Amino acid sequence: MVRKGLLLAAVIVLPFVLSSGMSAQGRGGAPAAPATPRTAAPVDLTGYWVAIISEDWRWRMITPARGDFPSIPMTLEAQKLAEAWDPAKDEAAGEGCRAYGAPGLMRGPTRLHISWQDDTTLKLESDYGMQTRLFKFGNAAAPANAPRTWQGLSTAQWIVAGGGRGRGAQRSGSMKTVTTNLRPGYLRKNGVPYSANTVYTEYWDVNTEDNGDKYLVVTNVVNDPTYLQAPWMTAIHFKKEPDGTKFDPTPCDAKF
Amino acid sequence: MRFFRGVALAGALCFMNVPAFAQFDLNGSYTNRMFEDYIERGPGSDLGDYTGMPLSDEGRAKALLYTSNIPSEIERQCLAQSPWVLQYRPLGMRIWSEEDDNGRVLAWIIGGDYLRDNLTIWMDGRPHPSPNAQHSPGGFSTGKWEGDTLTVKTTNVKTQWIRRGVGIPGSDQSKFTIHFSMHDDLLTVLTIQEDSIYLTEPHVVSRVFQKDARFGGAGGRVICNTANELPRLEDTGIVPHYLPGQNPEADHMTRDLNVPHEAAMGFAKTLYPEYRKTIKGSYAAPTACTRYCCGWIERQGLPGAAPGLTCIDGGQAPPAKRSQATEK
Repeated sequence: MVRKGLLLAAVIVLPFVLSSGMSAQGRGGAPAAPATPRTAAPVDLTGYWVAIISEDWRWRMITPARGDFPSIPMTLEAQKLAEAWDPAKDEAAGEGCRAYGAPGLMRGPTRLHISWQDDTTLKLESDYGMQTRLFKFGNAAAPANAPRTWQGLSTAQWIVAGGGRGRGAQRSGSMKTVTTNLRPGYLRKNGVPYSANTVYTEYWDVNTEDNGDKYLVVTNVVNDPTYLQAPWMTAIHFKKEPDGTKFDPTPCDAKF
Repeated sequence: MRFFRGVALAGALCFMNVPAFAQFDLNGSYTNRMFEDYIERGPGSDLGDYTGMPLSDEGRAKALLYTSNIPSEIERQCLAQSPWVLQYRPLGMRIWSEEDDNGRVLAWIIGGDYLRDNLTIWMDGRPHPSPNAQHSPGGFSTGKWEGDTLTVKTTNVKTQWIRRGVGIPGSDQSKFTIHFSMHDDLLTVLTIQEDSIYLTEPHVVSRVFQKDARFGGAGGRVICNTANELPRLEDTGIVPHYLPGQNPEADHMTRDLNVPHEAAMGFAKTLYPEYRKTIKGSYAAPTACTRYCCGWIERQGLPGAAPGLTCIDGGQAPPAKRSQATEK
């Protein structure tokens, strides 16, 4: 009878113990450390990822001809600017990284290294153009008069599956980021412009296959009231690599 | 004692790791956002364009036998395409659920159109049939929720073209894994196709669809009608094809668009960033764009519509532009 009672107690208590681990906090022991975005992450985005250029190959892997910009809902003003694209002039003006700003960078032929810079900041480094993006969790307001940069300012939040409901449910989810304060750049290497008014929203999902392969899928929405007739929505995918041996930092190149 | 057993069972069930709420409702209509691979999904790929594909030698050889007259034959005009060819077509999709008496979803159905069968995704835990069982145009699909992602497995498909209008083959040994994720009103669909015959590695594609209640489903007619498009072939028994080594479009992408031949022919190594570094110094962009330069489909639903833009949004360049482009 006693053994059965212990068994009953174990059945009831064990799930509490297991689920408490999900929030990385102990119960009844030492005071729990407050959860941070890092410890609360419902998805692990860290590691090395390689872009698989299986879509738009001719516009992503190589620099297309001037005036070649199908798929992008650009405005007439954007078309005029793109047709005047002059990469040599960009380089001379110190604007050689125009195609490496966040909305252009992510569709480029790149490897990514994603890591935690601190408990509230996720860092993304690209070898293509040697760019760094920082995703800041929390309510960090953009500093007043912050200079516009190729990678802008990105805020981040976790989207927990099911809104986090379901006690004991396995935690999963995705990340949503919103990037503003961008320095005007190019959506494509051949000069399709985006403006300083651009709001760049991304949703980050990781899918794990039966054989252990992991794919990072980033759903993008580029909203630019100046140069786009409609939000430009695409999805890009990356495959996880075991290490950084193929991560090969290469500086911006406006001409190739 | 019976009481205690009941309590124990209830306690266990309460705290099982069941993601009871981690799902979304797929029911609805979705508009296809043609903001990538527009030419392929709209007017159709260039012949000899296998860029972005990891083709095996056999897959490449079979693709090069293809002529666009093949789907014009009466017996092939209505041949169903691959169940996941929706990733390459200009149409949206309508999804609905089949439910049991308790409201549990037994299956999700993705409505077909005149060139694609209905696609049923069974959610009731049934197993996949034997590889030797019937293979059908829609294949056999099962799904399960992984957090907020619906993961689907498709097997038992027929030999079909992977992409539209360019002859890239997929065998009946193909297996697909598909992940559906929903973010606000955007449905992202990731397809991973494995085919040990025609591919050297999984072919991965991701697309975005947008929920749109005003959109009337797939947007296409439901019945495919045939017509005699090639009178000269009628009753001749001729099957259009190119013999090996005789496809005149095999070097089209290199000849007209400066695309490296190995990339145009779908070698897997051309899919990865390091490939770009190998062609630095040898690749030069064409001097001008001559066709489909600013095409995109949005709202009007018209192929090539690019409202207000003055660039070439169709397949033919004005004569002046053409002559400019051929100057090298």
